[in-house]
Amino acid sequence: MNLLEVSKQAFVIAFLLYCVAFCFYVVTITGKTWKNRDPKQHERKWGKISFVTTLLGLLSHLVYVATRWAWSGHIPVSNMYEFMTFLSLMIIVAFTIVYLIYRKELVGLFALPLAIVVMAYAAVFPRDVQPLIPSLRSIWLYIHVTLAAAGDAFFAVGFIAGLMCLLRTIDFKGTDKSARRQKLWLEITFYSIIIVVGFIVSVFAFRASGYEAVFTQSAEATEQSSGTKEVYNLPPIVAPYESQLESADSFLGMSKPLVEVPSWFKGVNAGRKSNTIVWALITGTLLYGVLRLVLRKPLSEALAPALKGMDADDLDEISYRAIAIGFPVFTLGALVFAMIWAQQAWGRFWGWDPKEVWALITWLFYSVYLHLRLSRGFHGRKASWLAVLGFLVVMFTLVGVNLIIAGLHSYAGTD
Amino acid sequence: MGRARRPVQIIILTLIVILGGYAIGTAVFGGEKARPENGDSPPAFNLRGLDGQVHNLEKYEGKALVINFWATWCTYCVNEMPALQTQWEKWQDQDVVILGINTGEDDLTVKNFVKQTGVDFPILFDKKKEIVGKYGVVPMPTTFFVNKNGKITSIVQGELDLKTLDKQIDRLVKSR
Amino acid sequence: MIKNTKCECGHQNPVGTVLCEACGKPQFEEKMENSGELLEMRYDGVARRSQRANPNFIDKVWNFFSSVKVAVYLIIITLVGAMLGTVFTQETMFVTINPETYYKTKYGTIGHIYYKLGLSDTFNSWWFILLLVMIGASLVICSLDRVLPLYRALSKQKIRKHMQFLTRQRVVYQGPIHENSAAWIERAVTPLKKKGYRVHTEGGALLAEKQRFSRWGPYVIHIGLIVFLLAVLFRGLPGLHMDEHYWFPEGEITPIPDTHFYLKNEKFTVEYYTEDEMSEDFKDQGKVVPKLFETKAVLYQCVARCDDPLAEPELKEVHRHNIQVNDPLNYKGFQAYQFSFENISELRSVQPTLVDKETGEVYGKFKLTMNDPDTEYQVGPYKLVLKDKYMDFGLDEQKRPISKSGEPNAPAFLFTITGPGLPEDGGQYIYFPYLQQQQYYGQDQLNQRLGGTNNKLELDLAAMTDVDIIEYNSYLNIRVDRVMPFVWTGLGIVMIGLIMGFYWQHRRIWLRVDDGIVTLGGHTTKNWFGMRREVSSFLQGMGIEVDEKSLDNGGNRS
Repeated sequence: MNLLEVSKQAFVIAFLLYCVAFCFYVVTITGKTWKNRDPKQHERKWGKISFVTTLLGLLSHLVYVATRWAWSGHIPVSNMYEFMTFLSLMIIVAFTIVYLIYRKELVGLFALPLAIVVMAYAAVFPRDVQPLIPSLRSIWLYIHVTLAAAGDAFFAVGFIAGLMCLLRTIDFKGTDKSARRQKLWLEITFYSIIIVVGFIVSVFAFRASGYEAVFTQSAEATEQSSGTKEVYNLPPIVAPYESQLESADSFLGMSKPLVEVPSWFKGVNAGRKSNTIVWALITGTLLYGVLRLVLRKPLSEALAPALKGMDADDLDEISYRAIAIGFPVFTLGALVFAMIWAQQAWGRFWGWDPKEVWALITWLFYSVYLHLRLSRGFHGRKASWLAVLGFLVVMFTLVGVNLIIAGLHSYAGTD
Repeated sequence: MGRARRPVQIIILTLIVILGGYAIGTAVFGGEKARPENGDSPPAFNLRGLDGQVHNLEKYEGKALVINFWATWCTYCVNEMPALQTQWEKWQDQDVVILGINTGEDDLTVKNFVKQTGVDFPILFDKKKEIVGKYGVVPMPTTFFVNKNGKITSIVQGELDLKTLDKQIDRLVKSR
Repeated sequence: MIKNTKCECGHQNPVGTVLCEACGKPQFEEKMENSGELLEMRYDGVARRSQRANPNFIDKVWNFFSSVKVAVYLIIITLVGAMLGTVFTQETMFVTINPETYYKTKYGTIGHIYYKLGLSDTFNSWWFILLLVMIGASLVICSLDRVLPLYRALSKQKIRKHMQFLTRQRVVYQGPIHENSAAWIERAVTPLKKKGYRVHTEGGALLAEKQRFSRWGPYVIHIGLIVFLLAVLFRGLPGLHMDEHYWFPEGEITPIPDTHFYLKNEKFTVEYYTEDEMSEDFKDQGKVVPKLFETKAVLYQCVARCDDPLAEPELKEVHRHNIQVNDPLNYKGFQAYQFSFENISELRSVQPTLVDKETGEVYGKFKLTMNDPDTEYQVGPYKLVLKDKYMDFGLDEQKRPISKSGEPNAPAFLFTITGPGLPEDGGQYIYFPYLQQQQYYGQDQLNQRLGGTNNKLELDLAAMTDVDIIEYNSYLNIRVDRVMPFVWTGLGIVMIGLIMGFYWQHRRIWLRVDDGIVTLGGHTTKNWFGMRREVSSFLQGMGIEVDEKSLDNGGNRS
């Protein structure tokens, strides 16, 4: 078994361990109300078990990084798969640090699923080791990407704590306009998370079944010199603009696409991308529907009681603290070192490349957060909403820019 | 600090206005232009001529200039050479100088060509194609008309016939 | 209306003061005197510089920029503007296409509107620059307005504060002690010092303070940002900045316009990954991935006859560097970056051999360069005079030889040869260095038609070593950026400020003992959790057991 195989195994083990740790956290929180138990002691005992399991997962995750690094000769942060995996690792690291400061088990209950989702999302992208092109062969790849990921991971923990603070403080029984609106938006937040999960589920389900459909697109439709082929790994609901179906496996008797991508929707693989989005929406909505049926109430409302034991102020402070730790790290990693690298590689420290701009937007957003908090009294719910929105900006910078806008930072394997 | 407050405020606000104005000014009017346009001064050059002399803008200060970029392989350039020669003969007493800047060709080629066509206005060598770049010339030939005050009055891309050339130079001489 | 701004302790406060500068008693809230609400501790309750009784125009402008609310709005507008600037490709990303038509054809009507709104060049538009300028102004004025009063307030703190000042802090403890007040305060000094506090006592009162410097963090950040913005602004001044791209053919010393530098590309290398270096999965995709682009560069500086087109300049080698992506040449601020390359395989020179076709006798060889060749060559008994040269050989309508372009696609040389066995005035001979072009253009037939040499002589390439080829043309980005040190300094200052402000907290503990009751007030700029833990551990050391959480005076102001 070579190092690359070890690395692949370690990745799976880390993923499973995180899942187990998450289950343990569920036991930690829900078990408090079980009979014949001292809640405090139960929480302490199971909290420790869960945390140790998380650390074991982290260890395995580090083994994945180390072995892949050793095999390829470069740090595994050079494509989308590697970066997202690394990000989930950093989220666990950030969670560990925050946990060691505040000792709040509940944060794990939310941080772990986030890391798991990010890790699963990573696995959607091609997993092969790609050789580094000359512009990436630099020590700054190591420093810039790892630090930027670390900063983002702290923002992620800030988001988690902010979300928890919202769950804790929003009045679910309230009927006034503000309460209704907050409930709605919180539910939308959860719905969006479920959509991402839906995306991952549909990709893996069809990947496991080996589904494939092939389209050919005429040269006129793509405005390129020759016709192109598009391979779908999800059953086609949306076909590429002016395309011919070449072959498709049958799915539920459906062998033809229902609609075609409108002509104005352009870009590389527009057809496949929109098809994937449609599938994510369908699967996500189905998942959400099932959850609603089982719970018989909005997701956020169902989750809220789990946070009964938490102090809202503490959650607010954890959120703020995580962001305050992350902000300098992010500035250094995503802006300062990025500028130094850009200066060295391209001779200009700033070029208004979309990824650069979005890193700046993230930075500006969090500086707004800090200013509002420090001098305009944004605390609790208001600050938490900002922390949630901030994470959306972070994710768009990391993923959205590559998938939608692209530019110099377009990684291999994002299409 | 209390007494110095007003002056400090005024100094800082003035600085902001000046620096800000400069920043916005350069953004709107652009810093460097890629190529000279009408009304600009022609970019400087310092070139060897076929006559073995150095030719530059200072040498022709106070004269109207017709700067023509050409090459022997460019058919249109070759076609307009007689017209340029004719106008050179007509206008040279009236402080009009025609400069033919050859782009990147060897002495041998240019000498042969000049001998063949009998052109006798100053021919300059731009072997490294530096000046062509500075003038932002894309198609050949391109001709720049510079008046006696050292400002570009017009830029013509493509072949010039005798009549247009005559009209252009006439305008150039009258232009102030 | 002139308000009485004198505190009951006798201190005269400036307009806008929230907490008395001396004793800390809340000002102007007689009604809420005993409300117990938390105090507004931002900037320690001092008046900002700009808060004046009767503002005039300048004050108003000043006040506008000194407001954090305005600053936040400015940042938000900039943020949204930047977002819009990433919707479609910016004009600066493509050079050759006319933006007027580009957006319309590529993105349709929306694209056209985008272009018309000026969003196609967002980051160079006047409004975006204006926003940055306003943010700069806000940075200067906001900081100036706050840092000076704050500095004054913190450097002359009174140790004994008003009771309300203590009880309305966020961390508060009140309880009885069973010893002499002075002795208790005295005893409290050591444990606080152990925790890193600087402790001041005065009668029955104590002030412990640590890491005050973190208070300056935000202002240091702002100074750094101003340095950065100014550096970027001055970058545009003439002479401080150069950014050009030039081609550097292998083996040629190429002058760099507008400088006294010449750069020689000694060798260009491009390497690709071998299959052994790829993973199994990746190999199957059959992609070719470059590994290295390298230009072995030698930099020369002209030391004499630099601006004289009639003379050869005298060059001195000043620097040598193998330029790679991520590893530019840098000589005293003059920089060259690997940008692109082109495989041209262009002839630089050939050394043909003059051969007697009949006897096979070899007369010798001579060097013929494509650019600026010599016009006369003596080879054995023969004299070759170069009569004409065609870079891209062709025939015009009258079947006369011409050059079709300036590119050396099909070089051809026309010689007049004189010597034994040839006519008095010599014979003409045309020569194509490329073998396949000799056939394509029919060199032999042409020479037969030219006559003169009587088919007696021939120019021949004896060996591949007689051919000198320019394999690669390296495209380098030549840059000078004199302000970079200031850019990095600015960013360095920002980082120092960030670390100061975010990884340390200014913590203060006030203690006073009145009639056997000790009152503790604690304040920190952030991390109340840690503050409470510290206070509780301090009190524990003093023999007072308190739960961390019970110290919290409620509210949520960090």
